[in-house]
Amino acid sequence: MKYYLRMGLTLLLIAVIAGGILAVVNDYTAPIIKQTKLQTEVQARREVLPSATFFVKDSIAVAKAKTKRNPLKIVQDTSSDTSFFIYYKGFSADSTLAGYCYIASLYGYSSNVKTMVGVTPEMTINKIKVISQQETPGLGANCEKAEFQAGFNTLDAAALHVDKDGGAVKSITGATITSRAITNSIRAGLEILNKQASGSAAPETQKEV
Amino acid sequence: MELVGRIFALAVAAIFVQNFVLSRFLGLCPYIGVSKKLDSAIGMGMAVVFVMTMASTITWMIQYFLLKPLHIEFLQTIAFILTIASLVQLVEMVIQKTAPALYKSLGVFLPLITTNCAVLGVSILNINEQLTFFGAILNGLFGGLGFTLVLILMAGIRERLEKADIPQAMRGMPIAMIVAGSMAMAFLGFSGMSL
Amino acid sequence: MALKEFTKGFVKENPVFVMALGLCPTLAVTSSVNNAVGMGLAATFVLMCSNLLVSLVKDVIPSKIRIPSFIVIIASFVTIVDLSMSAFLPALHKSLGLFIPLIVVNCIILGRAEAFASKNNPLNSVLDGLGMGLGFTMALMIIASIREILGAGQFFGMQVLPTSYRPMLVAILAPGAFIVMGLLMGLMNIAKNKKK
Repeated sequence: MKYYLRMGLTLLLIAVIAGGILAVVNDYTAPIIKQTKLQTEVQARREVLPSATFFVKDSIAVAKAKTKRNPLKIVQDTSSDTSFFIYYKGFSADSTLAGYCYIASLYGYSSNVKTMVGVTPEMTINKIKVISQQETPGLGANCEKAEFQAGFNTLDAAALHVDKDGGAVKSITGATITSRAITNSIRAGLEILNKQASGSAAPETQKEV
Repeated sequence: MELVGRIFALAVAAIFVQNFVLSRFLGLCPYIGVSKKLDSAIGMGMAVVFVMTMASTITWMIQYFLLKPLHIEFLQTIAFILTIASLVQLVEMVIQKTAPALYKSLGVFLPLITTNCAVLGVSILNINEQLTFFGAILNGLFGGLGFTLVLILMAGIRERLEKADIPQAMRGMPIAMIVAGSMAMAFLGFSGMSL
Repeated sequence: MALKEFTKGFVKENPVFVMALGLCPTLAVTSSVNNAVGMGLAATFVLMCSNLLVSLVKDVIPSKIRIPSFIVIIASFVTIVDLSMSAFLPALHKSLGLFIPLIVVNCIILGRAEAFASKNNPLNSVLDGLGMGLGFTMALMIIASIREILGAGQFFGMQVLPTSYRPMLVAILAPGAFIVMGLLMGLMNIAKNKKK
């Protein structure tokens, strides 16, 4: 009996010490992890909309998306039937509107492909940047290459289809599914923005970043 | 009916499209190590299906009822591996007491399962992919079945290879790897199937 | 004597090619040399630390709870690596993904703790861990170099083959991992047989 007690206590002691040490490490790293995550997002925003010096977070209420594979970064509002499309307005130093940006994401071939999209005030694509994907190396993963991403510049919503669907986006060789996912998710966001811009109600500003 | 369809989609995804062994590279040690004989492959496969399903269930509950409310998600790795180790031990004892016949065929494989990364892998994947409770259980079950399928296929091929005339240096593990490569190539045909 | 503990992990007892341990990460992360080095060094760190700690506490721990204690020790170091990598090397952390926490079940680490560190003094254990870890890293790098050069024409992300080379895609996809590994193991066998 005593032997078992000693065994249990030793194991408990080891676990407690390990837990304690890890709590300290976690306390130290958690803010850094959060910071880097935020920073990469801000960095990506700056990259797709270089003319903007500061960004203001905004949202548009849209009908609740039914599918799980949601094309956009939409925050579901559980209390009602609406969800919110989150985007950022970019302003240049003298506070004139420099454009918009948002994160588009859709399931591609084997993973969720997330893209940071920069839009000019004239509602054409300024620049895009794929920020996360786990597609097939050598095929779908080529969506991170500059040549593919540059193909989106200056396009408007109507032209945002892959070439196989009669659009202006030159899809990646052997990876139409990935290309299509990226293109369609970007177009869905741009269409929401378009509707908002032609509508009258000014969106409510939420938070400055 | 919709539910049946969703379960079927999940099954095809876990068994073929994202096969644990051939596309996720999980559980390779037993895949190469226990695939020499068909009998032991079947035994190992059954043990893995059982433990993966159980582990998915319990680790999901630990994550959402214990780690998350207490904000100690950073202890996930420790908590999961200890759970799996104790679970395997427990299953071994229960089977030994209640079903000696089953124990005789499964017993030797159970201790090996603790260090089978497919088990810890499926537990972490369930959380990373934010599956629901039943999604997690089914993912464990079908993931295990997918593992069993390729393990049995492999064992069947290797039993035949025993009689084949293979260059001396390639016998055993090397040729098993090449066979696995060919199987992976076949399974590549499933990838990207959207259900 | 101590030097021997360090060098045996490179060739004679190479964990990957000779002992065929830790196959999962070996095949999963070797699609690029960058990932291979990251994985190798992470595992080396865990291996060294856990070997040191195991050999320090080996006399205090009752033999019956040896394995669970080792697992807790290993899992703690893995979590430390996981958290720090996520804080300081987020890109690498993302591409290694699931395989960082899975270092816990890497048979090399538990194997060395049980077979070596629990029977030897701390200095030799650390050297053994370092040697085995670097041997593991080396093996990963060899496989990854072959796969990345053949499959993408690149090495460490830099173009090394002329752009007119059409990458042999299969090398960086899953089947390539198995086939390259099989051929390398075969080569090792030929080398071993020649020596005899």
